[in-house]
Amino acid sequence: MASARSFSVPTRPLAALGLAAALVALTGCAEGAAPAAEPSASATPTASAYPLTLKNCGTEVTIEKAPEKVLTIKSTSTEMLLALGLEDRLIGRAFPDGPIPAELGGEDVPMISDKVPGQEAVLDLEPDFIFAGWESSFSADGAGDRATLESLGVDTYVSPAACKEVGKPDKLEFDDVFDQIAEVGAIFDVPAAADEIIATQKTALKDLTPVSDVSALWYSSGSDTPYVGAGSGAPQMIMDAVGVTNIAAGVDDSWTPFNWESVVDANPDVIILVVSDWGSAEKKIGVLQSNPATAKLDAVVNERFITVPFATTEAGVRNVDAATDIAEQLEALGL
Amino acid sequence: MTATTAPSATTGQAPPPRRGIRHVPTGVWVVILSAVLLLSIVFAVTLGPADIRPTEVWGSILGHLGLDPTALGGDVLSPLRDGIVWELRMPRVLTAAAVGAGLALSGTVMQAITRNPLADPYLLGLSAGASLGAVAVILLGVGLLLPIAAFAGALTALLATLLLAGAAGTLTPTRTVLAGLAVSAFFGALTSLVIFWSATGDTYREILSWLLGSLSGAGWPAVAISVGALLVVGMPLMLTGRTLDAFAFGDNAASALGIGVNSARWLLLTATALLTGAMVAVSGSIGFVGLILPHAVRLVAGQRNRVVLPLSALAGAIFLIWIDTGARTLFDPRELPVGILTAVVGAPVFALLLLRARRIR
Repeated sequence: MASARSFSVPTRPLAALGLAAALVALTGCAEGAAPAAEPSASATPTASAYPLTLKNCGTEVTIEKAPEKVLTIKSTSTEMLLALGLEDRLIGRAFPDGPIPAELGGEDVPMISDKVPGQEAVLDLEPDFIFAGWESSFSADGAGDRATLESLGVDTYVSPAACKEVGKPDKLEFDDVFDQIAEVGAIFDVPAAADEIIATQKTALKDLTPVSDVSALWYSSGSDTPYVGAGSGAPQMIMDAVGVTNIAAGVDDSWTPFNWESVVDANPDVIILVVSDWGSAEKKIGVLQSNPATAKLDAVVNERFITVPFATTEAGVRNVDAATDIAEQLEALGL
Repeated sequence: MTATTAPSATTGQAPPPRRGIRHVPTGVWVVILSAVLLLSIVFAVTLGPADIRPTEVWGSILGHLGLDPTALGGDVLSPLRDGIVWELRMPRVLTAAAVGAGLALSGTVMQAITRNPLADPYLLGLSAGASLGAVAVILLGVGLLLPIAAFAGALTALLATLLLAGAAGTLTPTRTVLAGLAVSAFFGALTSLVIFWSATGDTYREILSWLLGSLSGAGWPAVAISVGALLVVGMPLMLTGRTLDAFAFGDNAASALGIGVNSARWLLLTATALLTGAMVAVSGSIGFVGLILPHAVRLVAGQRNRVVLPLSALAGAIFLIWIDTGARTLFDPRELPVGILTAVVGAPVFALLLLRARRIR
């Protein structure tokens, strides 16, 4: 009996760790939108001279001609192509974070999968270009390994702000986002459309009147352990634009698991709630109100809540909208 | 339940124990560890990401105990900071203590009745069942409170294990362990399946904290569940040392000593499941506490379960308080799931125990 027993027992805690590790590997990218890439370096778009070679998250991508059959994974990539007027190039989209805003169109683009689609499903569409919002979507158990896809003639591109290892900038700025819009414009040979978006957004940013002396918690998800916008990603960039002070700015990451004690200690003036299909504002308000410690926060007592759609909180064409939206809500709250 | 061997151990009269390595009476150990536990609770509450002075912590605690906050040099805090001490830190530290004690107790009992030195509370599929219950609530929106679902999952898994082991013949240690293994694997697979099909966005974070174990959500209701289970189930378990000692000599010896082996084993396993289920319900599956602490106590205090049971409970409480304090302060303001730390500390300790055991035998 010794043999039967000796292997059996310790596997339990180890198995939990193993499963957890697998989970991280599977979905761990969520932190994913981890800081931005090498934006200013790779952004030199004028009229596109193919072949176009660019470094994307450390992978060299060579574009022979403007892609025509494109699959987008995650909302930010779908929305960027729609904003650039490229709806006719889209053969499919996958893994949306929420509804596409009506003004961007895209109702007719078929939804391939509500999660990351599998390799074979992707290849079956015969795309020539896949644009993903998270680097982790490109893996053998996801849409396919980048090198494999390349060998099959499919170019791949990841939102540079979501690069995980190579070329992280210290801190994401709006210029990095504009560089990405320009880069995508160059890939698809629509530089004028990209320039127009950038110009409009720069004006909108300038027209913002930042508030001052307002502190905020960017509450993205989680209940026991809140997952919040930290000091160097899109949430911080948007908060900087509207002038609010992020209480989690001290953590050098895009998002971070935080703790309620630090939130209560900081007692933020407003709480920004990220709204997604899986995490409504009501659910988060419920969490804040049911915990006796957070229920006493000024922002909770006075219901100073601001909501932003999840898809606007990762680097993309809707970040400026998120900023103006937050600025309007701040004004409505009298701040 | 009849007397087995040397008397008096529980009363701390320094018997001449064959296996007690240091000749320190049990009673002395109990007093020392109780004092350390009390000090640990008081000290751990003063630590945390928020910068709150110990005098303020004192003021908060005294105030909530209905005493004058300024007695003993305590300060009065704002309601928010008071909330940090009384609604966040205090229940969390107390829950850590109760969970640590409960898991260590369960581990001791499991190791004794399965006569398996590597047994821990999760052996019978309890944690796999509890995790499935929790994941079902988080992801599928099953209309149950999370702790209740976890508890129901743990009990279902235990029942499956015992029925499987019982159906295969008498409830022997080996059969129980193997049945637990099968049930664990099955429930684990179901959990993975649910996660694979329905995890959206970053709901997986909440699941992770279940799989790794976390006390970050522990409020007063968690204290009620864990301390309640410890009092109602844990305390009686602590008095089963004689029965457990009889098991150590094998089933035949135990029945020769007048113990109804099968019924005693069922009873003890069910009680252990209740205790573990309650702990898992508030903390997720925290590994290694139930495995390591009974061994650590045996190294110091000998093999007799009458001694090992209470000391394991106390040591488990102290251990988990400090590990959890580390989990919430080491990477301030980020938090670490406490199960990662128990494994980081527990696995090397476990390896040392293995090496030591090789030298002994």
